[in-house]
Amino acid sequence: MNTIAFLWLPDEIAVKLIPVAIVFGGLLGIVPFLVFLERKVCAFIQDRDGPSRVGLFGPDSPFEMLGINTGKRRWFGGFLQSLPDAVKLITKEAFVPEGADRLLFALGPFFALMPPLLAFIVMPVGPDFELFGQNIKLQVADLNVGILWVLGVASLSAYGLAFGGWASNNKFALLGGVRAMAQMVSYEIGMGIVLLSMIMMHQSVSLREMVNHQAASDCTCHWGIWHQPLAFILFTICAFAENNRLPFDLAECEAELVGGYHTEYNSMHFGMYFQGEYIAILSMGAMIAALFLGGWHYPGYNWLIAGTALDSNWRIFAALLGLASFGFKAFSFVIFSMWVRWSLPRFRWDQLMRIGWKGIVPLALANLLLTAYLNLPAQPKIEKEATKPAPVAIR
Amino acid sequence: MAHGHDDGHAKGGGHGHEASSGGDPLRKQTFLEKLYLPEIAKGLVHTLKHVFKKSFTVDYDGTEKSNEKKNHIPRAGYRGEHYLKKDDAGHVKCVACFMCAAACPSECIHIEGAATPADWKDRERYPKRFEIDMLRCIYCGMCEEACPVDAIALSPTYNVVSNTREEKVYNRDRLLADGVHYGLSLSRHHYRPDGVPGATPASNAHH
Repeated sequence: MNTIAFLWLPDEIAVKLIPVAIVFGGLLGIVPFLVFLERKVCAFIQDRDGPSRVGLFGPDSPFEMLGINTGKRRWFGGFLQSLPDAVKLITKEAFVPEGADRLLFALGPFFALMPPLLAFIVMPVGPDFELFGQNIKLQVADLNVGILWVLGVASLSAYGLAFGGWASNNKFALLGGVRAMAQMVSYEIGMGIVLLSMIMMHQSVSLREMVNHQAASDCTCHWGIWHQPLAFILFTICAFAENNRLPFDLAECEAELVGGYHTEYNSMHFGMYFQGEYIAILSMGAMIAALFLGGWHYPGYNWLIAGTALDSNWRIFAALLGLASFGFKAFSFVIFSMWVRWSLPRFRWDQLMRIGWKGIVPLALANLLLTAYLNLPAQPKIEKEATKPAPVAIR
Repeated sequence: MAHGHDDGHAKGGGHGHEASSGGDPLRKQTFLEKLYLPEIAKGLVHTLKHVFKKSFTVDYDGTEKSNEKKNHIPRAGYRGEHYLKKDDAGHVKCVACFMCAAACPSECIHIEGAATPADWKDRERYPKRFEIDMLRCIYCGMCEEACPVDAIALSPTYNVVSNTREEKVYNRDRLLADGVHYGLSLSRHHYRPDGVPGATPASNAHH
């Protein structure tokens, strides 16, 4: 039966469009406001006001002409500043430098923007609920190899930076691309080992299973962060390095490399790099939320579900709260990364490599061994039975 | 995170590091400092405090109204638009010596000198035409330094916006009127209250 009747699509497909719309619409729509937020965080840390003119709030707002007080410039003044910026980027000439590899030059921004978007496919952004008689999963695709998908796709984003650096025919861009490759490969190792210990703890490689495992009780005591605090810290550091965010932004290091891998990019080519960076931060935030902070789970979810077992409206409400909770957690990481960015100077290259190889990898290995030891299956009796001599066969 | 050579660069010359608040720049990093994380946490707390501080930005939208409301007065010695001074007799004090035009790095001062009227007893020449192209001016203040009779000076006027290029070429009368408008006195001491020793006020010297 076609109960949803959306675009004459069969229900199974129409239902799938809901998480797709939420995830991709939300992601692409939120980037301009993340840029605004970044500039505001920067300004507030530096005792400035930041963008304060273009927007719906403050003395320049159109509402002020109607006599509605919309507050100060300082807080939400430049709320729509990113829109004219985007128009500017879109309408600029897409310049390709002389001697550039035109194909790779065009592919670079694509590889920077698509992988973080694709990584979001497996993010369980909310619990299941029933709508129109269909069980709706707030997850675009429930791959049973969720974490491997994220890792594989995240590795692809290194190509975006490497292509940009290589194709630009510019030594600064090339240096930036080389740095980006070396840095991302180094920190992926640490990140992979950390993820192994999380897989061991949750007994699954599916992000959905992991979150369900963490959502077992209301006291949040199944959340990964309480069981694996060291892994949480290591993963957060790796996430900064993977995203090329300060203090690990040596790939674009404007003091030495002009703009690093995107030196030669302008117009929407640059805009795609920019978008990709913010979506990558968000997807790392989503990974941290799903692995360590209970995903969509929030204290009170189990109580809400148990108390209203059969009421589908309450289930939808609980699911939307879960969606908000997931967004809040991922967003908190974004804010944190902006806060860190405007607080810290950049590491030197040797410091970066030392932290990666001598700090994170050994610590992650130790954490892995500890986790493996603590998760040993306690079944010594079965092994003893197996070593018994087999009974003599009856002739 | 492991053992660090981070203090290596400071060993060569500790001279430049004396001003830093971290104490002895030559000392080894402690274990906690090599971990970075506690120090990073300190830095984060520091920047968080700044979020709640008062903004330095003056909320100025380019109109006189908002300027009055904020009452924004530049610091002493601010170099804004020029004005010309008058002597006690009410004449322009300039003697058309072209020193300012010669000192001007952007060549924005155009003077046309002429012999003074018969009743001006104190000097022989005055500027018949005195124009400053504010669009070329870089507000360096060299003209003010060069002037031997303290006739030209830079006012605190920072609102330098206009609608046409022609408006930004100020003639002699405009420059004189600006000096009167801002209520700036004849003496150097009054517009440089930051302690720059001024010459004897030129108006006295010529009497």
